Amino acid sequence: MAALLLAIPSKGRLKDNCNAWFESAGVVMEQTVGARGYRASFAGFPDVEVMLLSASEIASSLLAGDIHLGITGEDLLREEAPELEGRMHLIKPLGFGFADVVVAVSQYWIDVSTMADLDDVCAAYASTHRRRLRVATKYAQLTRSFFAQARISDYRIVPSAGATEGAPAAGTAEVIVDITTTGATLRDNGLKILDDGVILKSQAQLAASLSADWTNGTRGTCEKLLGQLDPANPLYATLAAQLPA
Amino acid sequence: MAAFPYYGSASIDALNSQASALLALFGERGYVREESAVLQPAEIFVNRYGEEIRRRTFTLTDPAGHDLALRPDLTIPICREAVLSNRKFPARICYNGLVFRHQPGEPHRPTQFFQAGVELLGLEDRAAGDTEILSLAVEALRVCGLKDFSLRVGDLSLFGALVDALALPAQWRSRLKRHFWRPGYVESLLYWLSHGDGAVKLPGTRAEIEALLDARTDAPLAGRTREEIIARTLDRAAEAPSLRLEGKVANAIAALLDISGPAQEALAKIRALLKTIEIDLDPQLAAMEARLATLKSLGVDTVQFTAHFGRNMEYYTGFVFELWARDKEGPVQVAGGGRYDSMMEMLGAKKPVSAVGCAIRTERLLAAAGGV
Repeated sequence: MAALLLAIPSKGRLKDNCNAWFESAGVVMEQTVGARGYRASFAGFPDVEVMLLSASEIASSLLAGDIHLGITGEDLLREEAPELEGRMHLIKPLGFGFADVVVAVSQYWIDVSTMADLDDVCAAYASTHRRRLRVATKYAQLTRSFFAQARISDYRIVPSAGATEGAPAAGTAEVIVDITTTGATLRDNGLKILDDGVILKSQAQLAASLSADWTNGTRGTCEKLLGQLDPANPLYATLAAQLPA
Repeated sequence: MAAFPYYGSASIDALNSQASALLALFGERGYVREESAVLQPAEIFVNRYGEEIRRRTFTLTDPAGHDLALRPDLTIPICREAVLSNRKFPARICYNGLVFRHQPGEPHRPTQFFQAGVELLGLEDRAAGDTEILSLAVEALRVCGLKDFSLRVGDLSLFGALVDALALPAQWRSRLKRHFWRPGYVESLLYWLSHGDGAVKLPGTRAEIEALLDARTDAPLAGRTREEIIARTLDRAAEAPSLRLEGKVANAIAALLDISGPAQEALAKIRALLKTIEIDLDPQLAAMEARLATLKSLGVDTVQFTAHFGRNMEYYTGFVFELWARDKEGPVQVAGGGRYDSMMEMLGAKKPVSAVGCAIRTERLLAAAGGV
């Protein structure tokens, strides 16, 4: 029988939090290929195959339908699939991995505290500097839709692979959209979050891919697993309502 | 039309003969045919125009790491070439070619389609330019055998002139103008202006501002100059007391933006509304009436005027129009155009160059005219 594929983060605090959550529900994970392996299984669930992937791979694998279930940050899920509907189902927020995706500007910009201010500055910047103000981010999709909602169009996105908070000081972008938990890293880099600049309050989510190969077998396995992970809530029933017949 | 169209021999023949008819007409009127590369440096679309165009533009990176784009229209590459090659003005240019658009959220719409069009650059007499392009667009549809069509017209300069006539700080005037084309948003700005308390808590003196900045020298300038920041802070502090719009005026503007209907009636309503708030926009209204007269002389009677009509391509600055017909499935826009006087400068022209143009969606036109 085809296995139910569940991906969890392969390292870091997200991984530890996932393990703790499984344990609290009495689900015991057994690493199958040594302690550094990237496959595992759950005791008592022979039909569940656990894969350890990077958090962003989990998001793209869910979207591609390569796995049935995955645990990763909501920020990555929404970035990967701006329109979740019909493609993914968020089964349950897990209460860990909290982080905000925010718009931040230099503290030197004392005249900018809201998105409306940023809109003015973007427009003025385009006409005085003859180019668009640059926003460094790894969240291009989230940025685009949030800026569109704020009616800002005079800007351009500069993809950032890492250390986004350094972009304004390095001169590679004027504004950033980045993830923050306490805001300390932003402050250390002389940046501040705009008053109405919180794009997403994110946390880890247990999510299902709606385009995965949902056979009767994998559905049954999923129902059993979700029942054990959270007996108090009808998690499987809400998921099943979204799965193709 | 499919997301990835496939052209059979019959539709190729029909499109070719339609293109010949269009280009022959443009040629007769003195428009020279030109063609840009399909693949363009990405920054000409991305840097000059906002993220909305970028969202719809297919971009790719070449093996050396340069960002490229499949052209989302021909207007920008043609205008850019006119700037780079120091064209003599006025210049009349026509084209027919493929353009590429990503259609986020609308997977059934085609990602590539043909556009035929004209650009009239650097003609000082703007009224004459508007009329020339409008007449040519109407003739182009008729040359292709389309009999039934209607027009939708608007004018972004009308709203601009209205906002300029208000006693508001410059930043707010430019904010209102910038968001003119976004339904709902301007209304909420107007509401805020007439109901808000106008309180902006900002330091009011240069010394206070300098002190604040001196305490933040660890933070990056981030692309702006210290003077820019001081100037804007001073402006905002100074504008706070005058940030109020009389309720009557705000309501009249909101009502004006709501006006939409047969063009003559709509213009009459606008005149009546403007009278109540004692604002005079006669030059702009007269220009619109002259365009309507031109349309009448061309035998086009179905003209809708929509006050908030500004198209969603961000670069129009004045007169705008759309031509609509019907195909088997319902109403379909077959052509659109207008004035974009700021584009040439955005693309590097040293001084303002007037610009007006029109693009025809030839495949839709063919379907609406009963071709294929």
